[in-house]
Amino acid sequence: MSMTSVLNKVWKSLSRQKAVLAILALVTLMLFFDTNFFTPYNWLDMLRSTSIIEIIGFGVTVVVICGACDLSVGGTMSIGGILAIMLVNANYPFWLAFLAGILSGALVGLVNGFLVVHQKTEPFIITLGMGMLLKGVAQQLTNASPLSSRNMEFMKISNQQFFGIPSLVVYMAVLLVAFFCLLRFTGYGRNCYAIGGNYEVAKNSGINVIRTKWIAFVISGSTAALAGVLLASRMNTGSSIYGDTTGMLVNCGIVIGGTSFAGGIGGIYESFIGLFVIQLISNSMGMLGIGGYSQQLIRGIIIVLIIGMDCYARKRKREAV
Amino acid sequence: MSQPGRNILVVRDVCKSFPGVKALDRVSIQVPSGVVYGIVGENGAGKSTLMKILSGVYEKDSGTIEFDGKVIERTTPIQALRRGLSIIYQEFNLVNTMSVGENIYLGRFREMGGMRGVHKKARALLDSIGSRISTYAKVGDLSASEMQIVEITKALSFDSRLIIMDEPSSSLTSEELKRLGKIINQLRDKGISTIYISHKLDEIFEYCDIVTVMRDGCVIDSRPVSEMSRSEMIEKMVGRTIDNEYPPRMHCVGGPLLEIKNLTTRKLHDVSFTLNRGEILGFVGLVGAGRTEIVRAIYGADKVRSHTLHLQGKQTRVRNPKEAMVAGMGLLPEDRKREGLILPFSVEANITMASLDRLTRHGIIDRSKEKEIGERQIKNLNIKTPSAQTRTHSLSGGNQQKCIVGRWLELDPQILILDEPTRGIDVGAKYEIYTLMNRIVEAGGSIIMISSELPEVLNMSNRVLTICEGRVTGEFNPETASAAEIMSRAIG
Repeated sequence: MSMTSVLNKVWKSLSRQKAVLAILALVTLMLFFDTNFFTPYNWLDMLRSTSIIEIIGFGVTVVVICGACDLSVGGTMSIGGILAIMLVNANYPFWLAFLAGILSGALVGLVNGFLVVHQKTEPFIITLGMGMLLKGVAQQLTNASPLSSRNMEFMKISNQQFFGIPSLVVYMAVLLVAFFCLLRFTGYGRNCYAIGGNYEVAKNSGINVIRTKWIAFVISGSTAALAGVLLASRMNTGSSIYGDTTGMLVNCGIVIGGTSFAGGIGGIYESFIGLFVIQLISNSMGMLGIGGYSQQLIRGIIIVLIIGMDCYARKRKREAV
Repeated sequence: MSQPGRNILVVRDVCKSFPGVKALDRVSIQVPSGVVYGIVGENGAGKSTLMKILSGVYEKDSGTIEFDGKVIERTTPIQALRRGLSIIYQEFNLVNTMSVGENIYLGRFREMGGMRGVHKKARALLDSIGSRISTYAKVGDLSASEMQIVEITKALSFDSRLIIMDEPSSSLTSEELKRLGKIINQLRDKGISTIYISHKLDEIFEYCDIVTVMRDGCVIDSRPVSEMSRSEMIEKMVGRTIDNEYPPRMHCVGGPLLEIKNLTTRKLHDVSFTLNRGEILGFVGLVGAGRTEIVRAIYGADKVRSHTLHLQGKQTRVRNPKEAMVAGMGLLPEDRKREGLILPFSVEANITMASLDRLTRHGIIDRSKEKEIGERQIKNLNIKTPSAQTRTHSLSGGNQQKCIVGRWLELDPQILILDEPTRGIDVGAKYEIYTLMNRIVEAGGSIIMISSELPEVLNMSNRVLTICEGRVTGEFNPETASAAEIMSRAIG
């Protein structure tokens, strides 16, 4: 095999996912600047910062593969954190607070799932509304002011290290593997792809479409609340302003990764990459000392570019013969 | 207007290759003005490729195309349309949420002088082919044949002199087909040529003046229809002699297996019938008569007002497809791309979809077992696919259909419901589906078969029920009853 054909192959597999290409481009760009970008510390820090939205993203990916979406995760996250902090402050043991936080998310997922699956509402709108509703609840609960905890054990959950690796990164890695296996190797995962690929066919083939999709929403709510509890532990604070932009950001990152909103296509690895890109953009721009407003603009441009290029490539492929 | 006798379209030595396949090999045809020109051939014979080159979807590799005396080098679909060549695809190109008039003049509202002009001109065009469809009706509310008329009218609105119809009858009932025939005759009288692509040889003989047989990307023969016999045509299509289009009828009917009583839904009225063990039961009726609705209701896919279902003498409840599956039923739906297959899934994943529960241990899919099942059904059904991992959207219609059959066979169902199992499938693959049906009943299974092709039902079934307007109107033994007799009951 000649050198060019090897390069061609590498290029092909890389360009299949534009998000990978974006990561490479950004990393290459950073080579030209003298920053702390390439230190192990920075990479661990990036992973730690991104872990919260990654964890939310894993759950939402399941929903998106089923052909729906979940924009309520920002509110769910906020509620989960606030609830956990309120419980530890009321002197419940920290593990109970932890579980209760996650359960609150499962409950939100249950309601979302009921509305989408049984009442056939449009998931985009209904979960957007649910997100607003949850933010309202969070404001009522906290009187719209941040709530800090007084429990050291609770704080430790997200602020410790395992063998020098921040605990949040470890949690994320474990969930990454778990969700990867769920979607790749289990019958449940396969059924999710089938439902997203073609709902009617899945139904006619005896798949319990309602239960499968419903469970997907419960999973998504639970992971969002879990992320909320972890965030509250990390910040030692629960607040109703956490998660204002999270819902959009997470769903956006998933699409950047290459999981289709139409359903049936994508995976956890893709979502991980897509969500990481968002973090990488912020980090590298921070390193370069680009101001907040410009950051917002550049981030927007890059996101639109990636999704646009990806869709264009897919369109080309679809129309080719 | 072109004079009669002149050739509107001349195709000379056109070749087209795709990676790995020669789709067209020196194809030449001449279509005179004002004729109906039939093109027949099995799937993959190159008919669609040729049409797509004519309309500008694909580019030819070599050869010449002359349209209306002018050599066409390269073209786009819209240029072809403006030049006077339209194609009506099997799947209609209509906006379901817009009105008939808007659809006919889509994108040309301003040229037509606004919406009032659009509706006026659309009305005139529809009148000219004797259609009474309102130009204000929503296309989504129309029947398949009415949509086809809208497509034809749209073609006329571009002053088309050649209209290509790709499998125009696949969604039409025989009654609607007659109306289409009338319209095609009117087009001929106006000097407009039609290229009529179809699997159904009866239609070719009825409507076409000239016929071209294609096989493996080559033109095998072009002749006036009157000079070619049916068996000759089939022989040329498949490249071998088929003595019979149908395998011999099976006779392994046993005692009653499934009894349906008083099935009533919004569209069905008090439907009762019995299906026997080892029987092929044919449903005959017009599209929209309720045939599909009956089987969907039995299968639990649609909501039912009331009915009782006895399986092997025991009353059984089937409220959803899952319960139907457990009761031993399998459904091969009418529209295999929309309701039968998950196109982005592999052949293997499509086959194992319904039996996934048996392949999972603690929720984990057993890959080696899945592979085994995939390979077994591919071999068993002779599915032509590069590999078990190939995605089903690249397979031909017959092979896609076999994937769905394989999905159910894996479950060893007692009752297999086949809704239009051979629609859009070529002659050779049809025969394979027929023999497969015989194998299933031989093994003790029962089949309910719905088909719009009467000869198919008559030759395969042990018993035929006629369905009309949501009611069972008759029961016949296809070995003794005549086709006319059965059809008259089905029309009601």
